[in-house]
Amino acid sequence: MDVGLNSGQLALRDSVRDVLRTECPPAIARQAITDPERWRPVWKTVVDLGWTELAVPSADSSFGRVDLAVVLEECGAAIAPIPLLSSVGLAAGVLRVAGAAVDDVLGEIGGGAVAALAVHPSDHRLPGVPMTLEHGRVQGRAVAVPGLPRAELIVTLAASADGPVAAVVRVGDGVTARDAECTDPAQPVADVEIDAEPVAIAPVDLESALATPLVAAAADLVGVAGAALARSVEYAKSRQQFGKPIGAFQGIKHALADNYVALERARGLTYAAAARLDDPATPSVAGWNAAALAKAAAAEAAVGCARTAVQVHGALAQTWEHDMHLYLRHAWQGASTLGDSRALYYAVGRRFAGGAA
Amino acid sequence: MTRVKDDLRAEFAAWLTDFLPNDYYERYREYRWDIQLRRGYQRAAFEAGWLQPTWSREHGGRSLGLAEAMEIRLEAAMRSAPKLPNIAGPGVAAPGIRQFGTAEQIDRLLVPLLRGDEWWALGMSEPEAGSDFAGLRTRAVRDGDVFRINGRKIWTTQAHLSRWCTLYARTDPDAPKHRGISCLILDLESRGVTIEPIRMASISDETFCEVILDDVEVPADNLLGPCNGGWQVAMSSLNHERQMIWIMNWVEIQRGLSSVRESKATRDDYAAGEVFAELGSLLADAEALRATGYRALNNELAGRPSPEANILKLLGSLTLQRVWELAAAAAGPGSIDDADLLFERQDSLAATIYGGTSEIQRNIIAERLLGLPKG
Repeated sequence: MDVGLNSGQLALRDSVRDVLRTECPPAIARQAITDPERWRPVWKTVVDLGWTELAVPSADSSFGRVDLAVVLEECGAAIAPIPLLSSVGLAAGVLRVAGAAVDDVLGEIGGGAVAALAVHPSDHRLPGVPMTLEHGRVQGRAVAVPGLPRAELIVTLAASADGPVAAVVRVGDGVTARDAECTDPAQPVADVEIDAEPVAIAPVDLESALATPLVAAAADLVGVAGAALARSVEYAKSRQQFGKPIGAFQGIKHALADNYVALERARGLTYAAAARLDDPATPSVAGWNAAALAKAAAAEAAVGCARTAVQVHGALAQTWEHDMHLYLRHAWQGASTLGDSRALYYAVGRRFAGGAA
Repeated sequence: MTRVKDDLRAEFAAWLTDFLPNDYYERYREYRWDIQLRRGYQRAAFEAGWLQPTWSREHGGRSLGLAEAMEIRLEAAMRSAPKLPNIAGPGVAAPGIRQFGTAEQIDRLLVPLLRGDEWWALGMSEPEAGSDFAGLRTRAVRDGDVFRINGRKIWTTQAHLSRWCTLYARTDPDAPKHRGISCLILDLESRGVTIEPIRMASISDETFCEVILDDVEVPADNLLGPCNGGWQVAMSSLNHERQMIWIMNWVEIQRGLSSVRESKATRDDYAAGEVFAELGSLLADAEALRATGYRALNNELAGRPSPEANILKLLGSLTLQRVWELAAAAAGPGSIDDADLLFERQDSLAATIYGGTSEIQRNIIAERLLGLPKG
């Protein structure tokens, strides 16, 4: 199995990176915290460049989940305050496996319409099925919906008499959002209550439905981890104490080497999981397990690298003007979305012990 | 390409099934110590061309590509194929001889090594030169057609069972320490060589020895690689080993994970939830090793840099230790009288020391990959 990037994917990565370097430096994320409209011009650029088209699985498979992961990783690295992850990675990620009934919605998302994924029932650590579908109406409540304040569509999972379905509702009548002050206001989340008629429904297998969103979330966090580590390294080379760069001390050096291991561990799991999900022969349980481990590892890497970066930068990192709190906010928030690492590890470990993994 | 790989892997799998005793898996705990079986395995693998799959037929291979060779090694690992009895020979000494040896050296040494007829020891560590390998003090002084050697090597695995030793000695005391070392092929039956086995803390068939060298004469023709070029020979030989260590770690990790699965750890009075969470984390480590190993290989095949390969040794060895600690926790007090588990725990402690300690691995990652300054 191929678990690295091919030259086309490497070229895609480089072109996305170049665009973000000029269009979206970390200062944009800081501005987005206080200016709720700051994301729009960046989003327009991203839509014009066609990145949202990654939402639509193309017939010739020229854009698969590995390509999606590559782009989302770069956006995570840039801590870009845009809803590419929440719309194209998470919401469209569920719809990828929902069949022809949602093609129109996928097309809309591919064209730049912003969607959000509501799959967190309250009081659960892992994502699940927060809604019901009865008499043609989607009803229920979900918490911590990433990107909801910017969304025009909501994708959710609902229990119906015929088993679980993916359901799409349009933001408007019957959709009540409760905005919250969140950890990373550059990527706002909100709780939602729905009692509305869906614009599309399709039966889904729950594990397949959640696997792509997990990999997408992992890719974003791998990006954050890599960027935070790069900032630490850069600073450790230049900051002098006791007459030499602090990066010459093993206390710093080994912490950053451990960050690198965590980063590459997560990156390897993420690319491998994306490639497995693109392989139609992968059973849904195996796909979910691979995606869950990738998400768990990526969150550990992101939080670990960002926290180490705060430590390496010292008091500087505790200030508003320094970028490090932006990475940490993004990492912490992402780590709690779609299942925290310990809960995901627990779920996969329990299955393995039961022989199902 | 995939078809070819699958066919080869199937051919190897069938050969392995044919070679192994019928009760191999039921009695693995005994067979793992069976030196005759392990010797027989090495010889049969040499003859069938599975020992060094990328090498030519005469040197125990089939001239396969790196990707196909990886499939064969993974299949062997997943099937718990017998461990080579003297891994330093085929794993470290042989690649060095093949890369740096003269035609005469290759002709004389390589086949008996690969068949397992002659065992090899690695004469690297000294009492005052462990991680600081380049600080070694053993002297080799040119005297006509010979080098005259005086010094002391330690932690030299299986020297008491070996015929040959890749001996690293200082040939230029005035050069900077990395540039004054040479590698000599030492016949351990030479006069002046004293080998003292060291009692190990645990049951082991990889016994350390102390090797005392008192005015030992080594023919100048036995220089491996250029004079004062020993550092490159050592790094290149170990690098070959490092590429394969993760597969060894990976298979042992798989065995540990199965051991946890088969334990009573899923019962509530064994605090099952805590075990499940750690198990999940270890499953991620194991899969990350495999995925990263493949990713590094693919980058190598495409001629791209593969910096991620540098995490394999560090992550693999640490994971191996954690998995056996979890197995012990999962077994509860049942771990106390489990001799196999004791062996696994003790054995895994070596993994973060040999082939470059974890601290050295972190220095390598920090300095060579991340570009941090030397301390």
